[in-house]
Amino acid sequence: MADLKTKYLGLELKNPLLIGSCGLTGSIDSILKMVDFGAGGVVLKSLFEEEIILEHEKNMKEKLGSQESNLEFLDYFDYQLKENTFKKQRNLIDEIKSKADVPVIASINCYSVGEWFSYAKLLEDAGADALELNLYRIPSKINVSAEEILKGYYEIVKRVKEHVQIPVSVKLSPYFTDLGNVVSQFDMLGVNGIVMFNRFYSPDIDLENNRISSGPVYSNTNDYTDSLRWIAMLKEQVTCDLSASGGVHTPDSMFKMLLAGASSVQVVSAIYKNGHGYIRDLLSGVEKWMVKKQLADIEAVHKFGRELMPNHGEVFERAQFMKYFGQHGEQ
Amino acid sequence: MDKQDMLKQERDAAWRKELRGEIKNKERTGFERVKMPEADPIERSHSYVEVNSGLSAEEAVLEAKRCLDCANPTCIQGCPVEINIPKFIKNIERGEFLESAKVLKETSALPAVCGRVCPQEKQCEATCFYTQKLKKPAVAIGYLERFAADYERESGNISVPEVAESKNIKIACIGSGPAGLSFSGDMAKLGYDVTVFEALHQIGGVLKYGIPEFRLPNEVVDVEIENLKKMGVKFETNFIVGKTATVEDLKEEGFEAFFVGSGAGLPRFMGIPGENLVGILSSNEYLTRVNLMEANKTETDTPILKGKRVAVIGGGNTAMDSVRTALRLGAEKAMIIYRRSEEEMPARVEEIKHAKEEGVEFLNLQNPIEYIGDSKGYVRQARVQRMELGEPDSSGRRRPVPVVGSEYLLDVDTVVVSVGVSPNPLIPQSLPDLKTTDWSTLVVDDESLQTSVPLMFAGGDIVRGGATVILAMGDGRKAAKAMDAELSGAL
Repeated sequence: MADLKTKYLGLELKNPLLIGSCGLTGSIDSILKMVDFGAGGVVLKSLFEEEIILEHEKNMKEKLGSQESNLEFLDYFDYQLKENTFKKQRNLIDEIKSKADVPVIASINCYSVGEWFSYAKLLEDAGADALELNLYRIPSKINVSAEEILKGYYEIVKRVKEHVQIPVSVKLSPYFTDLGNVVSQFDMLGVNGIVMFNRFYSPDIDLENNRISSGPVYSNTNDYTDSLRWIAMLKEQVTCDLSASGGVHTPDSMFKMLLAGASSVQVVSAIYKNGHGYIRDLLSGVEKWMVKKQLADIEAVHKFGRELMPNHGEVFERAQFMKYFGQHGEQ
Repeated sequence: MDKQDMLKQERDAAWRKELRGEIKNKERTGFERVKMPEADPIERSHSYVEVNSGLSAEEAVLEAKRCLDCANPTCIQGCPVEINIPKFIKNIERGEFLESAKVLKETSALPAVCGRVCPQEKQCEATCFYTQKLKKPAVAIGYLERFAADYERESGNISVPEVAESKNIKIACIGSGPAGLSFSGDMAKLGYDVTVFEALHQIGGVLKYGIPEFRLPNEVVDVEIENLKKMGVKFETNFIVGKTATVEDLKEEGFEAFFVGSGAGLPRFMGIPGENLVGILSSNEYLTRVNLMEANKTETDTPILKGKRVAVIGGGNTAMDSVRTALRLGAEKAMIIYRRSEEEMPARVEEIKHAKEEGVEFLNLQNPIEYIGDSKGYVRQARVQRMELGEPDSSGRRRPVPVVGSEYLLDVDTVVVSVGVSPNPLIPQSLPDLKTTDWSTLVVDDESLQTSVPLMFAGGDIVRGGATVILAMGDGRKAAKAMDAELSGAL
């Protein structure tokens, strides 16, 4: 029997499998079911400030009344919606804590700096064990530079850290010119973990029905390699924890992430595709690998990974690249 | 006869025709709109004297002459309770002021109140012929309404409406605000034995605790309450239905039907860091303490923090009332912080104007995001974010968007949060069968205002969320009619 216990963001996890932030982590029944199947922790469904703004606009449109008789009631109604949202989140956290013994990581995505730290504080007060900042907006504005965007991100993280005591992780996109540097900057700001990577909603065009539709929602079994590469490259260069997210569908890919140095592995699409019970299969598969390679615990897995990849970083990656194409040409 | 025919018939009355013939329309439209006499801004900002002093009889008659007594009186369409506006105005023009008040009372239970607090610029005056067709200032319908109602009150000739023979049916009215008062009046007229249960120690609901005396003197409300008492309506103060006694308890005492008009008295906050610091309070608390508990007086048992640098968050009438109250409590700097521009403010244009005249500073397109306190836990600063207006949202309003990197610290020692209120949850909490919406308002039938509980009707802010005084009053009357129909049918 291998010991799967690990530590992520300073939290004790019974195993490194976290259910990533998604619809599955939005309701108590689903969460309890996943915990029963062995999930080591849950990242709650993200609270989006933008959802509250849109809901507010909808209320304003539908309920303003003739002669704007409800304007004073509705003018700041978004704050009431925010309160309602946090009340629900607090109840959910309370219920998880009373019925299951797993760390609860709350997740937020905000629009404005002020709301980022306000949401963070409210979630800390609601009992979250840690916070995941779902830090990404599509950079579509043509007059906003990368420098400005990054400055904004650093400011958000800095301010959130000033306002909460609980550990904070940042869920990143892979689309940065200087991803290594960005991770290092967050690390220096005192972030406790980096989640690599975020998966975004992708709009598509439905040609038959002439409308915008949703693109593929789930990741695929081969999508894990970006996360694997970056975790392997950065693990020894930063002090914060790294969490793998994206494309982990099999025990093999989960085990590889741990070898690369991930402290935890977030899974979503695989559960959607295979059901809650698949958590048990993933965990037993990882355990089998550990037994096969005679690795007693996660620390041993990490150590084995370091030995397997002695030169963490770009050189190692490039060497693999050359070798692959070299062999490919010979064939 | 339908409403239009009735209006036409009344317009064809000989005295109206005669009046119309006395002055040509061209001459009428040439008169300037009357200006409301006001107390001096410097003097009034340190006292609770009513800001608007009301029109003299001469001013009222002159303003009434501006009304063209239109064949199609569009102004009536702008009034939520469809007061016969030309008829009451033409009565003023011919000097029949008591008759004018009578016309108002046909449809409005509290004309002296509505003349003071209704947003006429968005209602009747917005649909006046002058505004719509001539692009000139509307006839000052609100000022004239107030004039007629005040004249009646000051003349001492207030008629007590006739009350029908007692039906010996006990009715409970929960809340003594505008909805409850108008409901009670109508039910008393129909012969019901009405008792109004008021949670606070004074009767009048939001008219008393929410609107300061400099805008609506208590005396104006008290006269209406006295009238209701003369009609046999009983009042129980310091009585919280759901706590002091439940609806079931009241049923056991013989109350057969209920009207819930408990308003929206639950303050909202923004949920931003530091909001629990000492010195940050809701406008409900701030105004109630001054308006009802005499916190402004030195000898009071319940004093209030008299800040020197007071920031009021919000842009509605309640925010204006709060910031102007702060000035009267001695603030050296009284500020409104509002996240949109003045154009989007829900407050009446007149209230904004009065606040500016009195020295209130407007920090528009700004929003607090955090409060910072001292070692004793008192608020000392607000971190304020500057905003800009983005594209109009789906409701057509321009969305406030934070300006990145624009935050600054503002010194404050008192903050009054005035970002709206929610319906009081006490009644729904005590009645599990009472259906509520996502907003915590009560679900009612649109026509009868009947709730999900049999023989329980509701109106005003507990149903609408937020509403004008006149809409709440209209609800009270509508519910009274429906309740009477229900009870009569059941007998």
